[in-house]
Amino acid sequence: MIQQEIIDIVNRSLAEEFELETENMKPEAHLYKDLGLDSLDAVDMVIVLENAFGRKLRDEKAILKIQTLGDLYAFIEESRRNY
Amino acid sequence: MNRDRYSCLSGSGTGWTGRDNLYSFLVVLIMNLLLYPLIILQILFFILLSPVVLPLSVLISRRPLPEIVRFFIWVYGKVWIFIMSPFVRFEKYGLTNNRFPKPCIMVLNHLSFFDIFCMGAFPFSNAVFTVRAWPFRIPWYAPFMRLAGYVDMETKGLEKALELCRQHLDRKACLVFFPEGHRSRDGKLARFYSGAFKLSVQSGVPVIPVCITGTDQLLPPGRYIMRPAVVRIQALNMFNPQDYSGHSAHVEMRKQVKESMIRTIEEVRR
Repeated sequence: MIQQEIIDIVNRSLAEEFELETENMKPEAHLYKDLGLDSLDAVDMVIVLENAFGRKLRDEKAILKIQTLGDLYAFIEESRRNY
Repeated sequence: MNRDRYSCLSGSGTGWTGRDNLYSFLVVLIMNLLLYPLIILQILFFILLSPVVLPLSVLISRRPLPEIVRFFIWVYGKVWIFIMSPFVRFEKYGLTNNRFPKPCIMVLNHLSFFDIFCMGAFPFSNAVFTVRAWPFRIPWYAPFMRLAGYVDMETKGLEKALELCRQHLDRKACLVFFPEGHRSRDGKLARFYSGAFKLSVQSGVPVIPVCITGTDQLLPPGRYIMRPAVVRIQALNMFNPQDYSGHSAHVEMRKQVKESMIRTIEEVRR
C-alpha cells in the first residue's frame, strides 16, 4: 500500500468517526490542538484504524507518541511494513 | 407573563424603551437576589436531609441505594423547577413515560450547567448520567453522583466506563448522555462523541434524543447572572439500533440523531 492510500484511508475514517472537516486534515495538523480530538477519542481512534486497516494496533507502544496526522500516517506505514 | 415578555427580560428583545430597560434590570436583580439564596438553601436542605432520608428509604422501599439516590436527585430537580418557576417558564413536549422504554439511552444537547436539573421535568427518576471527570470534583454534588452510580467517562477509561453503562442498562435504567461532551458556547450543536451510539448498537437499546433550549438564556456558560427565560424540553422520536448495520452503524445513527436535533432546535428558535 502506497502512502497516499494510507493517507486517504486514515483521513476518510477519522473524518467520518469524528465529524472532522477534510480540508483541515493536513499532515502537520495536531490531533488535539488543531483537530479538537481529546482523551475520550483516543480509544475510538485506535478501533477505527484497526477496522480500516484490518489489524490490531492497540498494543503498539509507538501509538502513544503520536501527536500529528503526519505521525499517524508514518505510524501506520511503519506498522504495515513490520506486519 | 407571555413569551415576548420573557424574551425582553432575557435581553433578546428589540426596540426597548428606557422603562423596559429599568424594568428588565429590576426583574433580573430581584431574580438573582431571591433565587441564589433559595438554591443554596435547597442544596443545604438536601445535604442535611440525606443521612436520614436515604437509609430510611432503602429500609422502607427495599430498593437498591443507587435507585433511591436517583429518586432523591429527581425530587431535587423538581424542587429546583418549582423554585425557578416565577422567573422561568418550563415547556414540556413528549415527556411521557410511554416514549421512554426501559432501558433506554437518552441524548441531550448541552447549553448550561442547569440542564442537569431539568431532569426533574422527566416522568421517571431512574436515570443515570454519564459525565466527564470534573463534575465528580464538585464537593456538594460528588457524593450523591457516586452514590447514584453516575458514570465517569474519563477517569477509568472508555472501555471500563462503557462496561458500567451496560450494567446499568441490564438493570433497566435510562442512561443519559450529553454527546457534545461540553456546553455549547454559541447555541449550535458541537461535534458528537460516539459513545452513546456505539453502546446502543452493541446493546440493542434504543436512543431517544431530547432537545433543551432556553437554559443558555437562563444561565449561559461562564456567566453568573441568571435571566428570565422560557426553557423548552422536547423528546424526539426514538431511534432503533436494529435499523442500522455494519461497521459504521453507530456513525449513521449518530448523524441521523444529530440532524433531527438540529432541525428541532432551529424550529424552536425560528
